[in-house]
Amino acid sequence: MFGQGLIKGLQITWKEFWTKKFTVQYPDEQHPVPERFHGRFVLDVDKCIACSLCANACPNKVINLKREKVGKKQFLTEYVMNIQYCMFCGLCVEACNKDALHFSQDFNMNQYFYRDIPLVLVRREAPAEPEEEQAGKTGEKPQRQAKAKKQAEPAAAEAAAGKDPGKEGQ
Amino acid sequence: MLRTQEYFLNFGPQHPSTHGVFQIILTLDGERIVKAEPVCGYLHRGIEKLAESRTYTQVIPYTDRMDYLAAMLQNLGYVQAVEKLMGIEVPERAEYLRIISGELSRLASHLLATGVYALDIGAFTGFLICFRERERVMDLLEELTGSRMTLSYARIGGVADDAPEGWLDKVKQLMDAMPDYIAEYNGLITGNEIFQARTKFVGQLKPETAINYSLSGPVLRASGVNYDLRKVRPYGIYDRFDFEVPLGENGDCFDRFYCRVREMQQSVRIIQQAIEQIKEVGGPVQAKVPKVLKPPKGDVYHEIESAKGIIGYYVVSDGSNKPYRVHVRRPSFINLGYLDEMLRGYLIADVVAILGSIDIVLGEVDC
Repeated sequence: MFGQGLIKGLQITWKEFWTKKFTVQYPDEQHPVPERFHGRFVLDVDKCIACSLCANACPNKVINLKREKVGKKQFLTEYVMNIQYCMFCGLCVEACNKDALHFSQDFNMNQYFYRDIPLVLVRREAPAEPEEEQAGKTGEKPQRQAKAKKQAEPAAAEAAAGKDPGKEGQ
Repeated sequence: MLRTQEYFLNFGPQHPSTHGVFQIILTLDGERIVKAEPVCGYLHRGIEKLAESRTYTQVIPYTDRMDYLAAMLQNLGYVQAVEKLMGIEVPERAEYLRIISGELSRLASHLLATGVYALDIGAFTGFLICFRERERVMDLLEELTGSRMTLSYARIGGVADDAPEGWLDKVKQLMDAMPDYIAEYNGLITGNEIFQARTKFVGQLKPETAINYSLSGPVLRASGVNYDLRKVRPYGIYDRFDFEVPLGENGDCFDRFYCRVREMQQSVRIIQQAIEQIKEVGGPVQAKVPKVLKPPKGDVYHEIESAKGIIGYYVVSDGSNKPYRVHVRRPSFINLGYLDEMLRGYLIADVVAILGSIDIVLGEVDC
């Protein structure tokens, strides 16, 4: 009989009318965000050793990091993600050996202005070496001193070992 | 003397029924279509070229962005091609996770195709009902991979992560409920007389023509050609599952639509079997592969059955850590090749019905 299918369809629609609502009123209530969600990045600065494995793993060159050598360790001075180019593939998080880079559950990353889009995770000055910090100098000067000392140190060590330091870099 | 004149009608690129930015320049005689000229390329991003400047692993996120409705299957094709080139053995558990997430992706894609096709014909309720389950499938994929559509889940030598605790039970729960939902779609859309009147014997495709035009996927199988790569040339571990290949008889719009609905049932069956079998399989989800992948010189072609048809990856390696060339055989693009002849002689109202039944996704057409 023609029209039977239409009636059956209406029955299904009518049945659906009485079932529990599947949608939620979004800004007031939210569906829970799963643990693995690819949201805003979080960097555990203390764990980061500024190895730039994450930056190399990124297909789109989203991650820009700057580092300076303080003493024997690399010190992370800047970690900026150009999030507008990010594909949220998670290759950077996977590449991190020290478990420093994470995703968070925060998906609200929209900005009013283009200049606010890059995600600045770290931007700080490199500290001077402990003994120079005591001298009370701040700003660029101790950094330069640290650099100068850093360059001087290996040269002095090599000279002490009986090598000609002048040959390096020639 | 009185005579009629042919005229042009621009269909798209900004038209909701073209499923993206796709344009058809129709030449009309009254309401009949004389010629249809598809214009694609509005979404071209040059993925194949981009792949040449990325390492082998870094290409994976780009493959997501081709058929973003079934991203896992796109990942899988590329990853298996590279594995074939390097001769990497994938751990058992990873294979099962690939099957489950891949079939979930196929389910999501077919649910969208079914729902949107109902919308194209004019049935809004069918669209919403299909999206209800699609949402749940997407939630499951999100829980597994962290993303809803562009999953980037497959890795060369395995998958990114093991399934979270309790995830497999959730999948099983949905799969057990799925047959009832599919019966709902059939009652709401397939059995509807108006829907049948709009789609039956419209845009008929002969099996010989389908083969000659190298069409694949549900479009080919709706014409009665039994060719499913999962059966014909099983890749991965598809030979371990018991499923059927749904076929159509007339090769019309209705068969193409109904073929997808029945394929969903088979996907559900495959996932149910995979969940049963994965319980006994433990171990790692990633093979031991070097951090810097340098496949030997040579080329490889690998094809798998994606949601839209056969997707093939041709990867050429020059021995460095970046592919020399990646070419993709995109099923949506090739299935579109017959559109012109399929549309000829039909009415304007049938254009949307025929185009929707091919189920294209523009990210894949333009690549």
